[in-house]
Amino acid sequence: MNYKLVIRSLGVILLIEAAAMAPSLLVSLLTGDGQWAALVWSMALLCATGFPAWRLSRPEENNLRAREGFLTVALAWILMSFFGALPFVFSGMIPSLTDAFFETVSGFTTTGATVLTVFEGQPKGIMFWRSFTHWVGGMGVLVLSLIFLPKISGRTSHLVRAESPGPTLSKIVPKMSDTAKILYLVYTVLTLLQFVCLLLTGLSPYDAAIHALGTAGTGGFSNYGGSVGEMNNPAAEAVITVFMLVFSVNLALYFRIIRGEWREAIRSEELRWFLCIVAAVMLLVTLSIWPEYGNFFTALRHGSFQVASIVSTSGFATADFNLWTPVAKILLLLLMFCGACVGSTGGGLKISRVAMLVKYARREVRHVFQPRKVQVIRFEGKGVDDALLSQTAIYFFVYMAITLLGALLVSLEGSFDLETNLTAAITCANNVGPGFGAVGPMGNFSGYSMFSKLVLSMLMLAGRLEFYPILVLFSPVIWRKN
Amino acid sequence: MRILIVGDGKVGHAVAEELIREEHDVVMIDNDESVLQRTEDTLDVLCVHGSGADARTLMSAGVSRADIIIAATHSDETNMLCCLIAKKLGAHYAIARIRDPEYNESLNILQRELDIDMAVNPERATALEIGRLLRFPFATGIESFARGRVEMVEFRAHEEDAIVNIPVKDINRKLHGIPQVLYAAVERDGEVYIPNGDFVIKAGDKVHVAADMVTVTAFFRYLGKNKMRVRDVLILGGSRISYYLAKNIMPMGIHVSIMEINEKKAEMLSELLPEANIICGDGTDQDLLEQEGLSNMDAFVALSNRDEENLMTGLFASRQGVPKVVVKNNHVSYLGLINDLGLDSIISPKSITCSTILRYVRARVSGGGTKVEKLYRLMNGKAEALEFVARLNDPYIGVPIRDLNIRPHTLVAVIVRRGKVFVPFGNDHIEAGDNVVIIACEAGISDLNEVIRV
Repeated sequence: MNYKLVIRSLGVILLIEAAAMAPSLLVSLLTGDGQWAALVWSMALLCATGFPAWRLSRPEENNLRAREGFLTVALAWILMSFFGALPFVFSGMIPSLTDAFFETVSGFTTTGATVLTVFEGQPKGIMFWRSFTHWVGGMGVLVLSLIFLPKISGRTSHLVRAESPGPTLSKIVPKMSDTAKILYLVYTVLTLLQFVCLLLTGLSPYDAAIHALGTAGTGGFSNYGGSVGEMNNPAAEAVITVFMLVFSVNLALYFRIIRGEWREAIRSEELRWFLCIVAAVMLLVTLSIWPEYGNFFTALRHGSFQVASIVSTSGFATADFNLWTPVAKILLLLLMFCGACVGSTGGGLKISRVAMLVKYARREVRHVFQPRKVQVIRFEGKGVDDALLSQTAIYFFVYMAITLLGALLVSLEGSFDLETNLTAAITCANNVGPGFGAVGPMGNFSGYSMFSKLVLSMLMLAGRLEFYPILVLFSPVIWRKN
Repeated sequence: MRILIVGDGKVGHAVAEELIREEHDVVMIDNDESVLQRTEDTLDVLCVHGSGADARTLMSAGVSRADIIIAATHSDETNMLCCLIAKKLGAHYAIARIRDPEYNESLNILQRELDIDMAVNPERATALEIGRLLRFPFATGIESFARGRVEMVEFRAHEEDAIVNIPVKDINRKLHGIPQVLYAAVERDGEVYIPNGDFVIKAGDKVHVAADMVTVTAFFRYLGKNKMRVRDVLILGGSRISYYLAKNIMPMGIHVSIMEINEKKAEMLSELLPEANIICGDGTDQDLLEQEGLSNMDAFVALSNRDEENLMTGLFASRQGVPKVVVKNNHVSYLGLINDLGLDSIISPKSITCSTILRYVRARVSGGGTKVEKLYRLMNGKAEALEFVARLNDPYIGVPIRDLNIRPHTLVAVIVRRGKVFVPFGNDHIEAGDNVVIIACEAGISDLNEVIRV
């Protein structure tokens, strides 16, 4: 294990995080919330830790192998969340370090589960940082670091693979650093576009910024206790609905469209699966809650917003879906597992994995009564390797096992019912945000004990990094010498 | 530049590695997914799965925006087809590896009709290189520059050689009558040094000297190394390299014996090379080697398909007192070991092919600088010798070399002006039209202006 290289990379990540706090500091100064010192102190601490780690750790070889890559990613996300929590603690917004850590993990992993109970009158700069973590975490910090330091190592693919969601890594141009640049550019432009659209619907620049950042990262932090619904602005709801879906699609597809390959982009099989699932569930949910609202269009407005919010794993809400019919609730719960597309900022199992598992299952069932039939599973117009299929199946098992283990651990304290505990674990592992019961869209996670919050934090990190990097931390092999 | 490489084999991988170091955008195409997976893990390239002769695959790899396509699959036909399709789809230059001797005869027609800009034949290039080594057995490597006017010869310095243990700047003064050559580079314990005046050559160093042919020959005569001549050669393995080598050296009056284990192959060789002595037998069998008079040979060339076999028989031949042993080896990791064992002349078809391709790519790097005319990788890529032609408008023209700002670890080795070769000193200057040979420890130089600033 090349610890020096890991430490050096971590130093760089911390410095980037310090830079990422700068916009929040600017907001704090502009709005005069009086909490700029909390941000300045946090930035100072980040620099004081990151700079020596970057400058003083001189690795003999610059070779990042898989184990270093995974370890770097896992440690980077934990450290980032720890330092990212400092502004909340220093400003007194969330005094407990555990609570602040939970909130930051929830931010970086784009979950959007909160422990905040009071939203009014919170310092605006710190609330901006809370939403900004979504934006940074959505695309990934290590990917960002590649833009500024393409030469951190010759083999960056392990870093990006560990951080970016999806079963296979897809570059869009030959150089990894160029790929990162293009993706971040697309991401930034789309975020700005949404910001402008939200301004046009009449939101204040601050509200528009908070919700644009929350949507882009598919996070779901709002600056209102009643989430988006509290603003009571149907136009803004429509804009957010559309952009939640926009950010659930593989961002590389937008690059292909810009490059004039829109035909190939539209032909993407994953995109078609995604759109079909979304359309079908929107319709079913709307029909199911129609009697409750009495009006089809009100039902459609709330139904489509909630479905987009859950499938993109954002977690914004305009209605308390906790009170909806059991059918609608089950549909939303299933959507939580399904998640967004590969290469998007969303979490969950990912549409392409679901699609492959469905095809895999169909083939295996077919095999029972037609054992000699040769069937190669095709996805995105190409045959899928059996190795990838079994990897996907194993991933599904690991994912379910860890989520349920998390549910078991949070049930230990005994203060909540089955629905709350189970959906809390599911919503955290899938980076959605709200669950059902006490952690529903109008509730929060503040009632959980410190232990449960740490368990849920680890679940969020595991879900965001797709389990393996976090599992690697607990594996003795990685700590052994070479 | 955007460069497509078709065929993720030994050569494809090595070329990609070098091109990435030079910051090119590299796309790798192969139809074996597991090989691509490994490449994706180790190199910063875009991997495209599919056949290189399939237009759709080439399109998805972005062939229309490609500057160069390098076809290095194991099949000559695929390579040619690849280049043809890629050129039609918009690639600017095409390089194909074409190794079959049958195609070699009609190479000109093929190249012209299929629009291939460069055809690389690794076996032939390797054979030519071995041929040169056999002509100058005292050298462990020879490169020629400026259309053969400058020769750079690599040899191992021994304790009894007059030039060892004297600072380089005193060699000409202390050793009366020694022909003036340039001590261009020295490899010691795996490190490469570009000697300055105070550098002392020690026994065991691999020294590169450069000068024109006459001076180099006189230099080695002075050192007493030029006595030996190769008249009898035993080649192990009847591969394509052996065929090309035999073809190349037999006209020089060298008697060739080839040992090949496969009967069919041996018969075919005997038909193709009637004057050569073809032996069908196991070349690793030491009795057979002795029986065929190994110890009386002037040179032994091990060209079997297995590097390990080549090394072992090479060592054996060396112990048997064969004065010149040339060994084929493609494993870079073995090189350190081989040097310790005392085998000096190591030939790697892979790295020869690589340098040939890189030389071509480097000369086409976009941007109008003073381009590389020729490039040689020395000491297994640790140093490079580059040849440029100085251009009229370049800023360094006419400025004494002592006043130029030359990049560290770089040496202006030789200047060829109007057919005359000289080693430049501080007072000399570069004129427009000069061929300038640079030795550099750094890879990736493509413009003379990068090296020399005013």
